[in-house]
Amino acid sequence: MDETVEPSEMIVHLGPQHPMMPGPFRLNAKLRGETIVDSEVEMGWIHKGIEKILENKTYLQGITIVDRICYLAAMTNEEAYVGCVEKLAGIEVPERSQYIRVIMEELSRIQSHLLGMGEYASFLGFVSMFMYTIRDREDVMSLIDSVTGARVTHSFLRYGGVKDDLPDGFKDDVKYVFGNLRKAVDQYEELYRTDDIYRARTVGIGVLTADVAKDLGVSGPPLRATGVAFDIRKDEPYLVYDDLDFKVCTQTDGDVYARIQVRLDEMRESMHIIEQCLDQIPSGPLFPEDTPYGKRSPVMRIPAGEVFHRVEDPRGEMGFYMVSDGSDKPYRVKIRGPVYPTLQTLPPLLKGVTVADIVSIAGSMDTCTSEVDR
Amino acid sequence: MDEIEQTNAEQDAVLDVGYTDVPGTMLTDSNAIADFLKKTKVQDVLNWGRKNSLWFMVNAMGCCGVELLATGMAHYDTDRFGIIPRNSPRHADVLIISGYVTKKYLPALKRVWDQMPAPKWVICFGDCAISGGPFYESYSTHQNVDDIFPVDVFVPGCPPRCEALIQGFVELQKKIDAKKDKGTDY
Amino acid sequence: MDANSIITSLKGKFPDDICDDIMESDIRIGAKVKPENVVEVCRYLKEDLSFGHLCCEFGVDYPDRNEIEVIYVIGSYEHPVVLTMKAILPRDNPEIESVVPVYWNANWYERETYELFGVKYLNHPDLKPLVLPKEMLGEWPLRKDYKGFPNKTARNLV
Repeated sequence: MDETVEPSEMIVHLGPQHPMMPGPFRLNAKLRGETIVDSEVEMGWIHKGIEKILENKTYLQGITIVDRICYLAAMTNEEAYVGCVEKLAGIEVPERSQYIRVIMEELSRIQSHLLGMGEYASFLGFVSMFMYTIRDREDVMSLIDSVTGARVTHSFLRYGGVKDDLPDGFKDDVKYVFGNLRKAVDQYEELYRTDDIYRARTVGIGVLTADVAKDLGVSGPPLRATGVAFDIRKDEPYLVYDDLDFKVCTQTDGDVYARIQVRLDEMRESMHIIEQCLDQIPSGPLFPEDTPYGKRSPVMRIPAGEVFHRVEDPRGEMGFYMVSDGSDKPYRVKIRGPVYPTLQTLPPLLKGVTVADIVSIAGSMDTCTSEVDR
Repeated sequence: MDEIEQTNAEQDAVLDVGYTDVPGTMLTDSNAIADFLKKTKVQDVLNWGRKNSLWFMVNAMGCCGVELLATGMAHYDTDRFGIIPRNSPRHADVLIISGYVTKKYLPALKRVWDQMPAPKWVICFGDCAISGGPFYESYSTHQNVDDIFPVDVFVPGCPPRCEALIQGFVELQKKIDAKKDKGTDY
Repeated sequence: MDANSIITSLKGKFPDDICDDIMESDIRIGAKVKPENVVEVCRYLKEDLSFGHLCCEFGVDYPDRNEIEVIYVIGSYEHPVVLTMKAILPRDNPEIESVVPVYWNANWYERETYELFGVKYLNHPDLKPLVLPKEMLGEWPLRKDYKGFPNKTARNLV
């Protein structure tokens, strides 16, 4: 952004501490009257240097660190990291573990969408929606808690399997929670559809067309809201997603309302996936038999090589590029987060809109600053 | 960093002007009144009021920020203790450092702290704010935050549960009640 | 469009610039590219082979070989093949042409690689630090010989 301002213009800084932002980032907007002429996003307020830390941790220690990349999608971050190592070392994951992973990742997706959606509604002043979604999110969190033992950062996946089996009565718990959640999601949809103020602030705002979105490298719900059915679970199936019946939720409008609608639909699809998994899950070992995986193995060496593995995060395409040199630590890990390109699209999207729409558009991307900064 | 030094200098300049040149006036500062009140029962009443309305600043900085949001909302409902999330630092009494303080973010956090009106308290929420947590050896984070802010309560965990934060607030209330907190004098 | 035909087409168009191509699997291919012509190769990939989605771009430091590799991971919205393209630069003075004119979202990736590895991108629209404070520019923290890691100042460790 050009820092020079004309007499009728001024630069407004939003952030890094701003109540309507999910994490610290700064948006410098150049205004003429109430219209945004130009804007710029500044990042790095919570840059932790995870890539450097991962180079100095053993493979097993790395799982704990990748949890903290994006705290709302800890499970999918682990899946991407563990998947890299499994591809390099050629580890086959037993089918039961794969099903447990899918269940946990979809639960994680539901809780992430619930928080993102509710938080977004509170950005627009619709705070009661945040109360509703957090109330229902706590039920999902206790389901995750009952399996992994942690609410936010789980460290649940292991190379070749998962840490624990599902507890007794998990299926009944899921059935009970999903019974309530289905009604709740319908209720949210109804609330969003009938609320005039909400509609006035979302319908037709921040429109992203399919061509532009592809050009800008967007993935996840903001891309699917433009009508592009790009979903890593379908396009490049990992785990047992090939055997499961689900559809990719898309909308055609590409505006803010469509993005929220995609998230609502995805929660329904995720519930559908989890129920199928619970019906189909086979019994068997959690770790491949006759291997040291799952037993105490403090030193683990991975064959030299390079691999790129990507999974579908709640926010889009999450990828890890790993370079291994044959030692017990990765040589280089690159984290490709989904919000990184999505947040870059703010300056072109915000050009020409009014100040009041900044929060509406920026919030609808469901940004996770921690993952952008890493 | 420069901005904070500049504001400090401006404040000092204002204090230096004083009222010495106005005839018939006596120079005093608010500390004299506060020091006198501390010896009386009025301070107990003040502390009772303060401890029951700890409005905290919503400043989600990391993983712990998610638990911070969840604590303030419907399920854990801290409103019943008078603990209310506030979005503006000018309304808040408690700054919760809920994550890794980086070298880039520290000036901004100091500025938020300066904007809060006294009496004000700091809670270190999570391992990152206490010691650096999993990122203690990183090149970009700032360790030992308690050197910079007068921290009253440390809540350990990575991230701590919502119940732990509520417990942290209860400990802070006890400290205020016993007049052992660092924040009131600040 | 499958992996084989992509490699053939790429090698046919740029016989001098593309070398060491490998096919890891049906959906993963890799190649090395000459740093001088990376923009032309990227433009061809995007316009003719529908590689429209730049997944990421980053650096890897190899001090023993005195090289820095800049890796482009390029995917597509139409087909599932992902191409890993490497450009090898000298470690003393790493310079490469920016691909921002082709892939718009390379902007931040290049700024990050610049501040973490010291790779200088020519003709980049706004090459300045992204995630680090300005004072740290020139330390190149992700290079293997960086001295500031691990940081030993933490006191309250348990």
